[in-house]
Amino acid sequence: MSGGCSIRAIWILNSLDSVVFSRRFPVVEKRWQAACKSENENASEESFSYAVYSLLPADSELASAFVERKQREGSARGFGIRVSQSSKGSDSWVDDPITRHIVGLYINKGEEGENNLLWPLILHIKDDSLSSLLLDLPSITGAFMVAHAIGDIISADVTEPEVVVSASPSVGGLLDSLTGSIGISGISSRAKPVAAPVASSVPSNTAVAGAVAADAPKIGSRPLDKDALRTFISSSMPFGTPLDLSYSNIFTIKVNGFSSSDLPPPDLKQPAWKPYLYKGKQRMLFTVHETIHAAMYDRDEIPDNISVSGQINCRAELEGLPDVSFPLTGLNTAHVEGLSFHPCAQVPEHHADKQAVMFSPPLGNFVLMRYQATCSLGPPIKGFYQLSMVSEDKGAFLFKLHLMEGYKAPLTMEFCTVSMPFPRRRVVSFDGTPSIGTVSTTEHSVEWKIVTSGRGLSGRSIEATFPGTVTFAPWQTQRLSSSRSGFGIIADEDSDVETQNSNNVVNIEDFLMDKMSNDLPPADLEEPFCWQAYEYAKVSFKIVGASLSGMSIDPKAVSIYPAVKAPVDFSTQVTSGDYILWNTLGKCPSAAAEKA
Amino acid sequence: MADMLPPALKPVSPQDWETLIDDFQYGGLRRHKWTSLSPVLLDLALSTILKRDFPLKLHLLLFLEEFSDSFFLEPIFLDRLLDSLRLVIQSPADGFHITLPLKDQFLVSTTSIFISLDIFNKFHIRYAESLVELLLIIVNRPNHGPDRQTRAVACECLRELERFYPCLLSDIAGHLWSLCQNERTHASQSYILLFTLVIHNIVALKSNVSVLNTSVPLVPFNVPQSLLAGGSSNSTNMGLNYKELRRAMAFLLESPQVLTPCGMVEFMAMITPVAISLELQPSMLKVQFFGMVSSYNPILCHVVLMLYLRFVDAFDGQESEIAHRLILMSREAQHYLVFRLLALHWLMGFNELISSGEVKKKKAMAVEMRLSFYPRVFDPLALKALKLDLLAFCSICIESLKSESALDAGKSVDKLFGDGLVSVSAFKWLPPGSTETAVAFRAFREFLIGGSSHSATDPSTIRTLLESTIFNTLQRMLVDMMLEYQRLVPVIVAFIDRLLGCQKHHWLGERLLQTFDENLIPKVKMDYKLVSCFPIFDRIAENNTIPPSRLLELLTKFMVFLVKKHGPDTGLKSWSQGSKVLGVCRTMLMHHHSSRLFCRLSRLLAFSCLYFPDLEVRDNARIYLRMLICIPGKKLRDMLNLGEQFLGISPSPHSSSFFNIQSPLTSHDLKKLRNVSSYVHLERVIPLLVRQSWSLSLSTFGVGNNKPDYLQGITDSESPGEEKDIDGSTDIQILETERIGQPQEPLRVMDSKISEILGTLRRHFSCIPDYRHMPGLKVKIFCTLRFESEPFNRVWGGVNSPASGVDGLDTLPAMYATVLNFSSSAPYGSIASYHIPFLLGEPPRNGYVSGESMPLDIVPVNSGPGEQKSFRAPVTIELEPREPTPGLLDVSIQTNSENGQIIRAQLHGISVGIEDMFLRAIAPPDTPVEAMPGYYSDLFTALWEACGTSSNTGRETFPLKGGKGIAAISGTRSVKLLEVTATSLIRATERYLAPFVVSVIGEPLVNIVKNSGIIRDVSWKDVASDSSPDASTSVSGFDGGPLHLTYFAGEDESESLVSTSKKTMGCFHILIFLPPRFHLLFQLEVCDISTLVQIRTDHWPCLAYIDDYLEALYLA
Repeated sequence: MSGGCSIRAIWILNSLDSVVFSRRFPVVEKRWQAACKSENENASEESFSYAVYSLLPADSELASAFVERKQREGSARGFGIRVSQSSKGSDSWVDDPITRHIVGLYINKGEEGENNLLWPLILHIKDDSLSSLLLDLPSITGAFMVAHAIGDIISADVTEPEVVVSASPSVGGLLDSLTGSIGISGISSRAKPVAAPVASSVPSNTAVAGAVAADAPKIGSRPLDKDALRTFISSSMPFGTPLDLSYSNIFTIKVNGFSSSDLPPPDLKQPAWKPYLYKGKQRMLFTVHETIHAAMYDRDEIPDNISVSGQINCRAELEGLPDVSFPLTGLNTAHVEGLSFHPCAQVPEHHADKQAVMFSPPLGNFVLMRYQATCSLGPPIKGFYQLSMVSEDKGAFLFKLHLMEGYKAPLTMEFCTVSMPFPRRRVVSFDGTPSIGTVSTTEHSVEWKIVTSGRGLSGRSIEATFPGTVTFAPWQTQRLSSSRSGFGIIADEDSDVETQNSNNVVNIEDFLMDKMSNDLPPADLEEPFCWQAYEYAKVSFKIVGASLSGMSIDPKAVSIYPAVKAPVDFSTQVTSGDYILWNTLGKCPSAAAEKA
Repeated sequence: MADMLPPALKPVSPQDWETLIDDFQYGGLRRHKWTSLSPVLLDLALSTILKRDFPLKLHLLLFLEEFSDSFFLEPIFLDRLLDSLRLVIQSPADGFHITLPLKDQFLVSTTSIFISLDIFNKFHIRYAESLVELLLIIVNRPNHGPDRQTRAVACECLRELERFYPCLLSDIAGHLWSLCQNERTHASQSYILLFTLVIHNIVALKSNVSVLNTSVPLVPFNVPQSLLAGGSSNSTNMGLNYKELRRAMAFLLESPQVLTPCGMVEFMAMITPVAISLELQPSMLKVQFFGMVSSYNPILCHVVLMLYLRFVDAFDGQESEIAHRLILMSREAQHYLVFRLLALHWLMGFNELISSGEVKKKKAMAVEMRLSFYPRVFDPLALKALKLDLLAFCSICIESLKSESALDAGKSVDKLFGDGLVSVSAFKWLPPGSTETAVAFRAFREFLIGGSSHSATDPSTIRTLLESTIFNTLQRMLVDMMLEYQRLVPVIVAFIDRLLGCQKHHWLGERLLQTFDENLIPKVKMDYKLVSCFPIFDRIAENNTIPPSRLLELLTKFMVFLVKKHGPDTGLKSWSQGSKVLGVCRTMLMHHHSSRLFCRLSRLLAFSCLYFPDLEVRDNARIYLRMLICIPGKKLRDMLNLGEQFLGISPSPHSSSFFNIQSPLTSHDLKKLRNVSSYVHLERVIPLLVRQSWSLSLSTFGVGNNKPDYLQGITDSESPGEEKDIDGSTDIQILETERIGQPQEPLRVMDSKISEILGTLRRHFSCIPDYRHMPGLKVKIFCTLRFESEPFNRVWGGVNSPASGVDGLDTLPAMYATVLNFSSSAPYGSIASYHIPFLLGEPPRNGYVSGESMPLDIVPVNSGPGEQKSFRAPVTIELEPREPTPGLLDVSIQTNSENGQIIRAQLHGISVGIEDMFLRAIAPPDTPVEAMPGYYSDLFTALWEACGTSSNTGRETFPLKGGKGIAAISGTRSVKLLEVTATSLIRATERYLAPFVVSVIGEPLVNIVKNSGIIRDVSWKDVASDSSPDASTSVSGFDGGPLHLTYFAGEDESESLVSTSKKTMGCFHILIFLPPRFHLLFQLEVCDISTLVQIRTDHWPCLAYIDDYLEALYLA
């Protein structure tokens, strides 16, 4: 019965590489051993036998294997791709970034090494590529789902999608729905606003199959709630096979239980993902949440690049098991690249310009759909940033920005801040006055607040300029304690070459560039590029009133079946993700345009 | 301990339990210490769980579950476990002591324990039956409100049991179905999954059961007979009840909306094989499930992909939609990165899948989608790397489509490559260790290798790869990159190394290196930065498919550059860079045949050791040069390899022995040294004609006096005075000035003939160096040194390793840095030692015929040229004889064996014969070549006269070269008759004395000698003239004899014997110079059957040897 997803064991390690939690699933183990046995019997006829190490390691063995791997791979995550330090048989030898997530551990028990993962073993059996292997293994995917769910619990990052009611603050999730109707309180896990998915902030607890590994775990700050974890695991995958990974459902059932008043719907089956039915005043809330990523170059040869990733969050406080549907208006194929939906949604098979979504909403807040789009309006912030080093420690800069150009009410910019990070230089002093807003400095950045919250910018556009100079502490060559994964091909430090270099450079900028780029630490594979290598200004802002992609829901068009009178509320909010103004005078990362 | 009653034990605190559980989980010794206590522990645990106020009940249950195999060994405990379970289940949940989660966990743990223990096969069946019965009782209350979660859990327990014991529940499938239909709470998922599994197992085992039949009661539960009869016996398998099963399927296919994504995975895994077995229309499944591909839940997308894998045909035409979904998923920034990566992997796997089917379609699709594979600015590098992989895949598709259609492929592949690289183009200026660099070079490799997987053995791919545009582009790019960004050279080297290290793609790496050789080397700039390219030069040097000439030329130029640029502030740089150049040379020496390198490399090294400013570099260059010249390839490589050992790079087979021995090691083992001469041989190239066994006595006589006393006897009375002058340092100058002032003796009256003779003699003697004041005349004896491998190895334990190559040379031992020292009791002056850097042992021969068993001095003449030269080192011994006398040279050897032992030993001596002393007389340097024969002829006549008894020159003295010494002539004469035919005499003369013949007289003789052409450049005289020495008159009656052509040598000989009986044919004049200043003159009067030899000399002792010599020469 292939194709299922079962988990043999889960280990959670802390940053000191000791196992703080472990759970084994004897039933899955039993199946695994049976599979190994039959596989070995089959394989014995062939020349190679796989010597499958079929016993699960004890915690201590796993921990030491993990430490050993960390040494072998450079960090807990590993290199991901083959570098000069990679040794044969190690994960990075596979030369695929996925090996930062799917790891192999060699358990030291006598002479046999073992990978506690399925895939390397299978890799040997089938002479096939890694890709088709991963395609064949939903276990891996499932394991990642499990791992992320567990990771969220550990870091108390259990969040529900944010739903905003017009001007009032956000509304809580499933438990709030229940507390509203049933009156149970005392559950600490309040929903927090969703963190804007910034590309540079990787999920802090990315787990590997079978083991949750975190490079920078938050466990230290907070004791691991082992009981909560144990309960979650026992309920979500009692025998190691996940059944439901929704933390809120499981937690609510644990706390709440069911009473005889919780009657099942008379004629329909209640879905497993909706263990409770709503009772009370009915209403529907939709929030379109968009995140804008932009790379603004202000150069002829590189076009600016703006993309929108958005989602529609929903909260349906509706009794029974109704179906809700609405047309997606303003959904112009030119702006929306692709839609993906919550599992509860019935998706029409063919995309059309006018598309209706029908779904049977679960309880609490949920993400109804996600989409990728381009900006239908112009960029909310346009302009350029120029920084030029006049001496080794002093730079002159100039901003010239247009905010909300061509934007009309009700679009409102709630705040807008521009920051110039200098992660590798210490800001000593700064000089200059912006045409609007206030400026502050921190040790490694200059912050320019153009629009402050409370004094939103609505229905008009402004122009902001900011010339100034910034002085840094003298440059010091940093010998970074390589806490991060080093991709170093250890270059031959030839003094001859270096002195030559410096002699040839006349330009101060180039000279500085050379000097600074010499000891740049390699970027993580999770980063889009080496941020520290560039000069840029990052804009953060929030816009409400309408979506930038044009995505919107007409509350009047929302229909509920069986028909019921329920007010529908719709709101939008747009926040910035990586909204970067590259220094027009410096280097900048770019990518070839997709459009031919 | 085990028989202690649990109540007697002190109640165990929760903390103790936690420690205990930790110990178990930790494993190793911490767990081991509890092993003996397990029955007690179990007992305690079971009773603890039932206690009212114990906080860790769940934890304890999990503990028992995880380690059940070390606890539940006795059936009695199973009874207790079941009893406890019943007790817990039947107690009402009070939300405090007995909670619902506890009940749920107890069910799960018990089931898990039962399965782990293999309850069906290892224990009595009643245990299993009672557990299943208990679960069925719980399950059998559909829609009951408060315990719905527990019912769901019980369903899961039953499913797990059914999974391990297929068809356990098949008899009650009808009941389960109706339960399934009735259940409306959220627990319905578990009911559905349970029923699906039952159906799945029925279909899988082809069990003939009715899924509608409810005649078998749910409880009491009895294990089906088929299961008891020994698992899945096929006795009852009459075939499937298709109709019923299809109905059940129809029911199940309606239900997926209620399932969670995880439930869906389980459901699909079970339903797909059933659908195949029941031959359902795949489109049914497709309609029902394909929509999930639009979900943002990764596992649901995966489920669709799994479905696709099973029913590829049904999804015909929708590949591109699936592909687009996957691309979209990879773009969703909301996802965790790993899912975005997985999506790309699935896409790649998906592509590979279609490739097995419809190749062209897939390729077209990939090409069409190529733009969506472009990496984006904010894509994490991991994602960029995978997208570049996809682009590489596209480029291969384009390449292969190019051959089929007139696609403008070249351009678009290059564009694809270039566009893709933009996203990581920072690698050009970031430090070489940056991640961007790693990703970029990974992409190079992907693009380059592309479709040629490691398993495929399709040779056509190699050709296509070489012709591919991408290969050409990349070659150009890498060359430009190295020229522009030297810091990338190590990265490129690593890139090449990776290709070289791969068996399949080794040739690609080589090809690239060849390109670098052709295109990079001519373009590099000649400056100090060149050194950054050295790593790549090193690789080029290592590769023996690349002719080293270009690189060597460059390195030579670079050396010249370094020498030119050298100044006071570049000392260290010169040293460092010069050493690096030599490093590359060394690599070449190690990897190429010396012959390929020889010319250019020797020039480079010679230049370096002559002109390089740094001493160490000069030294090293000299060493390498010596090695290159003297040591053959394989041994040389081994030697160079030894140094490498310290760096741990490539272990050489000899290294271990080399480093184990404290070198250098002088062997004091006398036994070892004693017999060296029996297998190390120094032999003359031309063996002596005469074994001078008795010569020793005479030479000892000579050696006794530092100043040869008989020299006085034959020199003029003034000579001793002259010698005294030299010894007495005080008045040398005066005497010298005297000599200069009056270089000649007082004039005497003499006739013109005499004065002519004297003039000739003076001229001759003035050319003879005076060994006391200047380097004397040297006599060279050519020898060869060789040694036998087998005895050498036996004694010195040379190379015992099984030959690394089959090449015989590898196994032969070698001697390094051999020094031969010579000494002699004969008056030969000081003899320079001879150095042989390297000598290879002779391969063993069968029987050891030559060399070993024979005495040294009668080695067959022909043994030399037949042998392979490489096993023999030529040795030239230079003597500076004070007196022309035969003698014996003692030879001692000092050498090093391969493993560092020093060998010192005596070899057999070398005999020096009188013929070794034979030299041609020195002609004055101003004599024109064409006048030579005349000069020698005149000199012969003059000396002949001077040595005659009636000489008028007896009192004359002749100054030697340098004007300090003088010589006088005191002649002696002798005669010998040789009874030998003219032919053999001429042959022997031609063979041994040809260089010394100064004139040939008499027409018949001249004709014969001229014909053979061996004796040349002498004066030919047809008729004896008056000027010829007195003996020549006897030839006057010379009869020319008939001139005739000879066809056969033998014929000629016999005929001449008959026809020209005893007539004199002519005569040879032979002039031999004996160092330091003596002469030996022969006049051979040749007749048909005998020859009269007239001998004159100014060194009478030599006559003693001449007799034997002539006999050996002509009569032997």
